[in-house]
Amino acid sequence: AVAGLCPCRAVFARRGGALRALCGSLRGLAAGPETHFGFQTVTEEERREKIYQVFESVAKKYDVMNDSMTLGIHRVWKDILVHKMNPSPGTLLLDVAGGTGDIAFRFINYVRSARERQLQRKLRHHQNLSWQEISESYQEDKSKSLGDSQVVVCDINKEMLKVGKQKAQHLGYSEGLSWVLGNAEELPFDDDMFDVYTIAFGIRNVTRIDLALQEAYRVLKPGGRFLCLEFSHVNNPLLSRLYDLYSFQVIPVLGEVIAGDWKSYQYLVESIRRFPPQEELKAMIEDAGFFKVDYQNLNSGIVAIHSGFKL
Amino acid sequence: GAAMLRGTAAVLRRAASSGQGPGQAPGQGSGSARLEPSLLRFLVCPLSKRPLRYDEATNELVNEELGIAYPVIDGIPNMIPEAARTTQKKPSAEGSKRP
Repeated sequence: AVAGLCPCRAVFARRGGALRALCGSLRGLAAGPETHFGFQTVTEEERREKIYQVFESVAKKYDVMNDSMTLGIHRVWKDILVHKMNPSPGTLLLDVAGGTGDIAFRFINYVRSARERQLQRKLRHHQNLSWQEISESYQEDKSKSLGDSQVVVCDINKEMLKVGKQKAQHLGYSEGLSWVLGNAEELPFDDDMFDVYTIAFGIRNVTRIDLALQEAYRVLKPGGRFLCLEFSHVNNPLLSRLYDLYSFQVIPVLGEVIAGDWKSYQYLVESIRRFPPQEELKAMIEDAGFFKVDYQNLNSGIVAIHSGFKL
Repeated sequence: GAAMLRGTAAVLRRAASSGQGPGQAPGQGSGSARLEPSLLRFLVCPLSKRPLRYDEATNELVNEELGIAYPVIDGIPNMIPEAARTTQKKPSAEGSKRP
């Protein structure tokens, strides 16, 4: 069971980590490769199960919690990600760990506006055409309001996908959008398929990040772009202390009050602390074969966007 | 191993056949549980990365070579290897290549 560490004990847990790791590895000798679940040491299989349960539990309140915890700022981070992507109509996007569809919907909105601007530009050039010709061009363009853009949302968690699909129906998204239940470490897609691969606030929950990055490389077309939006490490010492305070004192409480689930949100904050910092993640992405790997800090490193290209 | 696969698949089959989910719009009937054709051009078997055949009758994506089939539930293909069931076609084929 997930140990209900109280917030102040979590700080000491980090210091006691070495001792616990030793006990954990003795325990784990027969059980398989060791990894972490927040500040606990578990086997890879246990970790996958625990994480699945976390998201199964929070799925229905996922969006509400995101708004509460980040005071709505997560929306801005996601907007920035899609603006950075700057997709043109016809782009094929694979959004991994995309559960509730936030990136997918933004992508669709973006290419739809881009497509509208494209059509307006085309119309301005149609000054000398007959009404017949103009209306014909209207017909053919109307059926492609997204200009053949497509987004496939892939997530390992059934509950998250269910929420995403319902949201899509509710908000009126249908064209150019598909949902697949799949594992980021073992994607059910062919090689060289997608123009862009995104993973927003998901890679932290993958057990074998190296495998996920290799899969990302495999499914991207040559020239394709990898984009990762994730919590990262804050460089500013004062902000870092405030952030720690907020994370360990406020977030699990919010989790309990809003989602009735303290433990899942305790896991969330611990997993953020455990996740590799910017430079280390950059190195991992390069190891997978990506070129021109770069990152952009948002809010002093609370969040970072990593980008790489398959050449 | 294989027993776990069969067990998981049995549960999924029962769940799939027990009726429409709560998110279905009225009047859509069984059409909404089927796989969107546009997805077929993207999907391959996550284990072998080889093409799949969509079986409309059972609403499954079949990997003939490995003798496994992935279920489609509420229109969403479940491409997790543990969820696949073994088809009886090739008794000598391995059920799973997972290490």
